[in-house]
Amino acid sequence: MRTSRHVERRTFLKAAGASLATVGLTAAGCGSGSGSNGGGPVTIRYAWWGADDRAKKINQTIALFEKKHPKIKVKTDFQPYVDFWKKFNTQAAGGNPPDVIQNAVTFLRKYEARNVLLDLNPQVQAGNLSTDNFRAGLEKFAEIDGNLLGLPVGSNSMGYIIDEKVYDKAGVTPQFGWTWDEWYAGLEKIKSKTGVPGDAGPHSIMYYYDLKLRQQGKAFFTENGLGFAESDLEAEWTEAMKRIRSGIYTDPKKAEQIKPKAATAGALSAGEFTWDNFTVRYAAEGKSSYGIAPIPTTDGKKTGQYLGSLMLSGTARTKHPKEVATFINFMVHDPEVGRIMGYDRGVLSTTGQFEAFEPTDKVSKQISAYETKIAETGVLEPITPHPAGADVIESAFLRLATEMSLSKASPGEAVDKFFTEAKTAFTANA
Amino acid sequence: MGPTVTHTGPAHAPPPPTARAEPPPVRGHGAHRPAEGRRSGSRRENLAGYLFMSPWIAGFLLLTAGPMAASLYFAFTDYNLFDAPEWVGLKNFSDMFADPRWQKSVEVTLKYVVIGTPLKLAAALGVALLLAQSRRGQAFYRAAFYAPSLIGASVSIAVVWRAIFTDDAVVDRTQQLFGMNAGGWVGDPDMILYALVALTVWQFGAPMVIFLAGLKQVPRELYEAAEMDGAGPWRRFWNITLPMISPVLFFNVLLETIHSFQIFGSAYILGGQGNPCGPADATLVYTCYLYQQGFENSRMGFASAMAWMLLIAVGLVTAVLFWSQKRWVHYEENAR
Repeated sequence: MRTSRHVERRTFLKAAGASLATVGLTAAGCGSGSGSNGGGPVTIRYAWWGADDRAKKINQTIALFEKKHPKIKVKTDFQPYVDFWKKFNTQAAGGNPPDVIQNAVTFLRKYEARNVLLDLNPQVQAGNLSTDNFRAGLEKFAEIDGNLLGLPVGSNSMGYIIDEKVYDKAGVTPQFGWTWDEWYAGLEKIKSKTGVPGDAGPHSIMYYYDLKLRQQGKAFFTENGLGFAESDLEAEWTEAMKRIRSGIYTDPKKAEQIKPKAATAGALSAGEFTWDNFTVRYAAEGKSSYGIAPIPTTDGKKTGQYLGSLMLSGTARTKHPKEVATFINFMVHDPEVGRIMGYDRGVLSTTGQFEAFEPTDKVSKQISAYETKIAETGVLEPITPHPAGADVIESAFLRLATEMSLSKASPGEAVDKFFTEAKTAFTANA
Repeated sequence: MGPTVTHTGPAHAPPPPTARAEPPPVRGHGAHRPAEGRRSGSRRENLAGYLFMSPWIAGFLLLTAGPMAASLYFAFTDYNLFDAPEWVGLKNFSDMFADPRWQKSVEVTLKYVVIGTPLKLAAALGVALLLAQSRRGQAFYRAAFYAPSLIGASVSIAVVWRAIFTDDAVVDRTQQLFGMNAGGWVGDPDMILYALVALTVWQFGAPMVIFLAGLKQVPRELYEAAEMDGAGPWRRFWNITLPMISPVLFFNVLLETIHSFQIFGSAYILGGQGNPCGPADATLVYTCYLYQQGFENSRMGFASAMAWMLLIAVGLVTAVLFWSQKRWVHYEENAR
């Protein structure tokens, strides 16, 4: 009896011990955070979207930062664009977002409305962060309702990426100020002379349609809704379907399957609308040589372009706003960081970094020349932050345009669906 | 308990004696003594048992029951992850039924289940019949046919599958040999679902193993008797094998159907980057839409409502299958 009791007790203790150990482990797993441990090094978390090549560069800049600021440690995390936002949403909702994130103009109002982003103005006043020495047009870019929600690390603008070899062969030369008719005549010429479809099909690119609307004095988004009518989009998409059928735009089935590679990089088209800093990608993915052509215009002058870009934002729940500001300040102003990053996230945004980086490769030189040119021609307009829900609407635009181009919906049906979904997205984000 | 009693002792002097006075009549019966000892021992044992189970119980409560209860609540709310959930009653459900993309996701899922499940089971049964015959290298064949099921659910295979069915890849070129110029399945909204079905069918290993076990249970003498009476192979399969393995078949149908309703990973990846759930929503299976609504569009209330709707639907299908088994599942009465 005594022994058995003894054994029982031992079993009992073992069980208790095992459970406690498990609970302890779980607690340890949850507890590893960025608790400030007075005086010792502070850890901040920094997350961005991108691929390995960007990660390599960013890690170099972080090593540099940690060397100069030994009391701040930076933990990093990155995913591709779409996954990045899913993860960030979940983390932010759980009250545990990274301290610093890469951000874009599409998301400013959305997260401002939900008090997710840190207002950097107090840090500017405290002298931890400088808003001086930004290139023209970039200083006020992430300010909404008086709150400074981020600082740009680089600027980019929409451009028309072309396969230079195909354009040469067809004898088509894009000019600044060319009109949509001249552009389309060029596509037809390319198709007839080289057999390559002239364009990858711009109908699913929200930013392309935005430029077209801006040229007519409208815009894709107003402050709280869509800036165009159903009839506008139906006309645009009906015309696009004609051009797909005539072979001037790439067969959408083929364009779908080559993703994530761009159609032009895969020799499926002679050109396409995209951000100028993506030229880097085309050069890496494709076999031809690629250049940036100007955006076609309606009146021979106005392109509707603006400078957009990636920025760094702090999150409102951070326990270390001062360190966050120090980090952002370093990443935005330090010349060495500019030399390491190059134009990976657009043309460097501060004059210090812009001057520190001397582009040597053809692609970077092209991007720099393109942005200098559009600044000189005076086509740049101020950027308007997108309303909350814009990210959902952008993906609906892409999906429904694709659905239409694959002949699964008529232009009219696709437009109807788009407006319905846009309404839902605005309501859900109101 | 003891210490508490002595503690209150000074204030309420009488209670301890009465508390102690009550047990004696019970203890009076000598026979009860060991019983009591056993009882406290078994209580101890129970406690130890529960303690051993506690990590699992904690996990179940925290990771399964808790989230389920929360999702049931969210299903009746408007919840965007950031603001507090707002009670909207049945609105998510009425929105769901009116939503064309939801209808599309139901259509795609049903199509996938109705086409994929029977094909997969047929493949599993067919291969099991072949493997049930004893021949050299049997173990190797079994392992070889089971292998795809081990890797089939993985992300990498879905990626490879996409590459196989893409424009100008293996499948497309094979088709071209036969004069069919389809141009790849994964960019074609009419074909991509079949690529997904093919991926599922290829993973017939698990039901195959279960069928094999079932086939081994069929008494040899039934076949011998049937052969004596002149029954051909088809007849033997139809009249002996199938009825005899019908309980196993029922189990497989049930499991695979439930499993099919929950397909997500391969459908999501096959659609390709930047185009999850397929071109023109061609592989927009139910869970894929649920995921989009929840994590991309931040409509957690709607997504929760969708999840509960799926649970109800799968429950109904399961109930119908159980009800139907009376008609076609044959359990041997004197199996014992």
